[in-house]
Amino acid sequence: MEAITGWWDDFFWGSLVVVELFFVALFLTILFGLIGAGSKLSGNKTAKAIANGYTIIFRGTPEILVLLLFYFGSAITMTAIAQIFDPTIKFVDIPPFWAGSLAIALIIGSYATETFRGAFLGVDPGQIEASRALGVSNLQTFIYVRIPAMWRLALPPFGNHMLSLIKDTALVAIIGLEETLFVAEQAIGTTGKPFTMYILVGAIYLGFSTIITLSVMRLEKYANKHLEVTR
Amino acid sequence: MSFDIALIIDSIPKMLMGIGLTFQLLFLSLALGTALGVMLLILRISGRWYLSWPTMIYIYIFRGTPILVQIFIIYYGLPQLEFVRDGIFWPILREPFGCAIVALTLNTGAYLSEIFRGGVLGVDRGLKEAGSALGLSVTDRFIYITAPIAIRLCLPAYSNDVVSLMKSTALASTITLLDMMGIARTIVAETYAPYEVFISVMVIYLIITWAIQRTFGWIEKRMSRHVRQ
Repeated sequence: MEAITGWWDDFFWGSLVVVELFFVALFLTILFGLIGAGSKLSGNKTAKAIANGYTIIFRGTPEILVLLLFYFGSAITMTAIAQIFDPTIKFVDIPPFWAGSLAIALIIGSYATETFRGAFLGVDPGQIEASRALGVSNLQTFIYVRIPAMWRLALPPFGNHMLSLIKDTALVAIIGLEETLFVAEQAIGTTGKPFTMYILVGAIYLGFSTIITLSVMRLEKYANKHLEVTR
Repeated sequence: MSFDIALIIDSIPKMLMGIGLTFQLLFLSLALGTALGVMLLILRISGRWYLSWPTMIYIYIFRGTPILVQIFIIYYGLPQLEFVRDGIFWPILREPFGCAIVALTLNTGAYLSEIFRGGVLGVDRGLKEAGSALGLSVTDRFIYITAPIAIRLCLPAYSNDVVSLMKSTALASTITLLDMMGIARTIVAETYAPYEVFISVMVIYLIITWAIQRTFGWIEKRMSRHVRQ
């Protein structure tokens, strides 16, 4: 255990990177999920086909492959673009943080697309008809009727997506982001204690998973509080 | 930047050399993981707290941490401990392949036991009661009444888990194994052509996913053929 002593602050900053990555990717996940679900439910054939292709590709390929493709692919593209303006440039890449959060968000977003789609379909059509009868505009119906009704349905599966999301952040260490797993590798280089360090990383992630699970449980309670029997 | 078709044609056969390893990882850890999942399920629903609590903790830990961290703990971490190096499992844990199998099995076993539990809980109570009314023992009831129905109920979730297990096998490339992903990474490191190589291997993975889904779709249809006319 004494091997960890000098590394607490590094692990703390590493954990903070995980948290940042989680929230950025979570925001993008919700965005991609809503866009995907919207396209799948729209009457537009092209939008539907693109959304279907999106979910098939990102749910069917390994996460690490998507991540590496994004990181190295974007580096190649960016370098090529930069060389148009300045041929002396050798190499440009997008920061691992952004490549990582974008790749993870696209992966989890493809799962969220299906969840949101199902949740939107689960909203009672009578409510939407009612708001239409009241002369509420489409946008307002979406914001005030559809979203509040669907997020209750989407919450339990979306909680699972958030757990996958936090666990996928560990992969970003492979492209060199200084998060906990990366810190552990550095610490192992100095202390030669791989078991201790990786167990600590596991414990940190277990803590994050627990926080997410408990938060989702509270949110579910909050979302369904109108269904509770009043005493 | 250009898209090198010759490189794709050149690298696909190389990557397909790794498909054997990918399938070995998938089928071996799926078989072992299913066995582990059933064992954990039986402990979990045994109704004895000293059996079900440790199982719940096990499931909680393995589902709450990234599979990559689990692989690293087993491959890089365990050799730090002396009793592991002297233990009987050292011949397995010394090899990256053995470590990958152990990690994938332990991980997927935790997920599968929860899926199986969902199936068992979904079996109609009345059927179990009918079984005990007919004088069947607990074991017989589980084997002849609960299990066949539970298997049918959890098949869709099981097929999803097979797909995620298949995706997890790609992580074996992080501990020096040359599965399809490992070979793809080697080629990219040599040629620095991520688009061509990674997109080709992506297509191969998509075909495998599709095949898994089709197979399970067929099994599901067959197993529930008494429902539809």
